[in-house]
Amino acid sequence: MTGRALACLALVLLAPGAAFAAQTWGIPHEKPVVLRGEVVDLLCELAGECTPDCGGGRRQLGLVTAEGRLYPAVKGEVFFAGATLDLLPYCGREVMVDGLVIENPAMTLLFVQKLRGSSREKWKPARAFIEDWRRRNGPAREWWRADPLVREVIARDGVFGIPGLEPEE
Amino acid sequence: MHGFLVGVLGLALAVAWPGPVRAAERVRVTGEIVDTWCAITGIMYGFGTAHHQCAVWCAVGGIPVSIMDDAGNYYMVLRLEGDDRSVAEPRIVSIQTHRVTVDGTLVERDGVKYLLVDEVADDRGIVNLTHEEYGIQPFGE
Repeated sequence: MTGRALACLALVLLAPGAAFAAQTWGIPHEKPVVLRGEVVDLLCELAGECTPDCGGGRRQLGLVTAEGRLYPAVKGEVFFAGATLDLLPYCGREVMVDGLVIENPAMTLLFVQKLRGSSREKWKPARAFIEDWRRRNGPAREWWRADPLVREVIARDGVFGIPGLEPEE
Repeated sequence: MHGFLVGVLGLALAVAWPGPVRAAERVRVTGEIVDTWCAITGIMYGFGTAHHQCAVWCAVGGIPVSIMDDAGNYYMVLRLEGDDRSVAEPRIVSIQTHRVTVDGTLVERDGVKYLLVDEVADDRGIVNLTHEEYGIQPFGE
């Protein structure tokens, strides 16, 4: 294989559509991306209300790219869960994110599918939520139905959110 | 030549400049508390009673909540009445799908309206009854 062919192969492997790149979901305005940026606490970045640890998992996080563009990270790889615990270890540091940017005119969102601290590291899936959840609650097939807070709220208000309003049999 | 250089410099600055950032402003917003992910992506019907259970799941899962006003604007909530917790915050979970009026500070940046809520001025509870048309979203149970 010639040097030029090897270079072309390398470009293909590094392209956004390559094997490691994001899985598309067919969401309107979605765009597979590999973003590199600094992990920030949104409340700190936008309002100057900062903590030393990006909120320690209590606050929403985002990514600021070298161009200064801010992306709020709203979703990770776990069903019905965000990406805060995936990004938290990189608070104030650079991270690479493989995922989808949803550039809906109403709001731009970042869906984190995989991440790594540098190009020397392996990509890891954004599944920190479920690892943390299992440590706290034990195994469950569907965390979203087994979670204690979910069970409390649904038991109190019902699936429609209005006490006494029940689904038809 | 000078004009050309100025033009090139201007273009370079425009490309390198951070996205639009609008100064913070005081606002009053009225609308439905929604799960940001499902509402914005449209991967399922994401509003009202039909989607309430899923909205609770997502709020507990740490997905940010937003307020959708009657004009279809979305405001991502980063703080609620002095509590800086916006990940799985129990009060935010408990008011999913409610129609609320809030006073707070709006900060816009890069295509997102962020809202720091100082006060929930009114809470009408859940008024968007969508379950008869859409059932339970998702899974039907």
